[in-house]
Amino acid sequence: MPLDTPAIAVSNLTKCYGPVTALDGVDLVVPPGVTYGFLGPNGAGKTTTIRLLMGFIRPTAGTARIWGHDCWRDGVKARADLGFLVPADALYPDMSGAALLDYMAGLSGKPPALRRLLLDALELGEDALQRRLNTYSKGMKQKLALTAAIQTRPALLVLDEPTDGLDPLIQRAFEQVLSDLRSQGATVFMSSHDLAEVERTCERVAIIRDGRIVAEETIGDLKGRRRRMAEVTFAGEPPPGLDALDGIDVIEREGARLVLSLEGAVAPLLRFLGNRDDVVDLLLSPPRLEDIFLGFYDAHPNGRANGAEPFARTPAPEEAIRR
Amino acid sequence: MNAAAVLRMTARVLRSGLPGLIALLLGIGFFEFVQPLVIASFGGARGLDAIMDRIPPALQAFTRTRPEFLALSGLAGYLSLGFSHPLYIVLAGAAVVGFAARSLAGEMDRGIIQIPLARPISRPAVYASRVLGVGIISALLAVVGPIGMVAGLLYSRPEGDFVYAHLGATTLNGLALFWAVGGLTLWGSAAASTAGRVVGWAIGLLVLSYFVDYFAGVWAPLQRIAFLSLFEYYEPTEALVSGRADTANLLTLAGVGIVAAVAGLVVFTRRDLPA
Repeated sequence: MPLDTPAIAVSNLTKCYGPVTALDGVDLVVPPGVTYGFLGPNGAGKTTTIRLLMGFIRPTAGTARIWGHDCWRDGVKARADLGFLVPADALYPDMSGAALLDYMAGLSGKPPALRRLLLDALELGEDALQRRLNTYSKGMKQKLALTAAIQTRPALLVLDEPTDGLDPLIQRAFEQVLSDLRSQGATVFMSSHDLAEVERTCERVAIIRDGRIVAEETIGDLKGRRRRMAEVTFAGEPPPGLDALDGIDVIEREGARLVLSLEGAVAPLLRFLGNRDDVVDLLLSPPRLEDIFLGFYDAHPNGRANGAEPFARTPAPEEAIRR
Repeated sequence: MNAAAVLRMTARVLRSGLPGLIALLLGIGFFEFVQPLVIASFGGARGLDAIMDRIPPALQAFTRTRPEFLALSGLAGYLSLGFSHPLYIVLAGAAVVGFAARSLAGEMDRGIIQIPLARPISRPAVYASRVLGVGIISALLAVVGPIGMVAGLLYSRPEGDFVYAHLGATTLNGLALFWAVGGLTLWGSAAASTAGRVVGWAIGLLVLSYFVDYFAGVWAPLQRIAFLSLFEYYEPTEALVSGRADTANLLTLAGVGIVAAVAGLVVFTRRDLPA
């Protein structure tokens, strides 16, 4: 695939169902070779976006393109080198696992080069493949659907909740598969409720709320903008003056312990503490994607986030530090 | 359009309902197998003539022909009743309606349609595979009845003359009728999002069509709208007796099926898939 063409380019994408606007002018660009996380709670517009990308539904306005091809008007070309995770409950129950994999590879028109590797990684045995899908558990169906999506080594993977129903060990194995695919140049666009997984797997994320993108950047940048929590314990009474430091707020005081909220660089705090000899302990919690994500939804319980204000949200110190 | 993919999808949708389809085909074959046996048990065509005279006109209409015609046409006339019997229509209708409803609306309802549509397969190709499936099932339904009847004739050898070659015209009649029913159901299937709703529409249409044709035989005012009934163009008795299938009737039924299938294609390629 051409490296100068975005794997996915969404422009002013809007989808209305009668009076309900499910997606409202979404803009999104997924560069080639990137693992991209798409986050949002149920009903935010994640699945609608993915269904528009797949050409399952028609946009009310705007465009969605895959490798430069319009997903609705030119869907066959858009899906020419794409692997899509079909929901585990949307597989033919009367087929065996092996027959389903053959059928889906046949429709793709490409050999299932990665099938064996995936089946080994996801621990789906040959005996299971010979059984009908109506005897499969949800986790087994999910493993099969993942194998079916990836087995032909597509250049772009579109995965909606890929690890739903998988146990933690298999989740980690799947993350390794994604990492290997990315190192081979594949692009991955995935939605997930598992924020820790997205944090481990993805380089960029978009956060969608009420049909609008409220944040879109690298996970590193997103974390960098996030307020962090620090807990400092002194030998005696905490000293005055911490409030005066740029970007630092004292949000809790309990005897000799202070809980601070930090924005930006940590250097001013370290300089302040370095000049004292009564510091007993310092705990600095790393910014977590989960806190950032939740900030978008806790900050405006009754209204839309505007993309900036949620970063001002201050989580409870226990929540941030004890994790 | 990728012909190999269309054939692959057709094979898949046919296999997904294969046990039910085989059961219905066997049922139809057995029903037609029994017809000559029943006639033989009544003493052949002549034995039945006396019985037909005693049937009230309202019930004679169910035979979709005239008793005097049956009497003149002999064994072929009585055997043809097996192709206009409500049970035959119900069994064949269930097979073609069930397939057309399940293979499109049913797959949309369950999300299975995403399997081909997430691949480089166009919606017209997916739809074409279902049209091909309807054609194959219509052909199987049209053929299995005559095969069963031949087997019954060879087994029971009822009294009377019968030209086996005339079953070809009856087969053509059946093929045209089932194709029309299948095309109309496919249109509904492309527009709906659940198989149950499509089955409801299609069965309603079949029943209405059957009774318009039936009541037109006993109530003159209905004759003006009889042309709206699919069964107005389905004449198995004339076909089996004369060995000729009316070309205008065949073209009408074929045309209904084609127009409905094309309408379904237009709907399917423009619609949103249900969530």
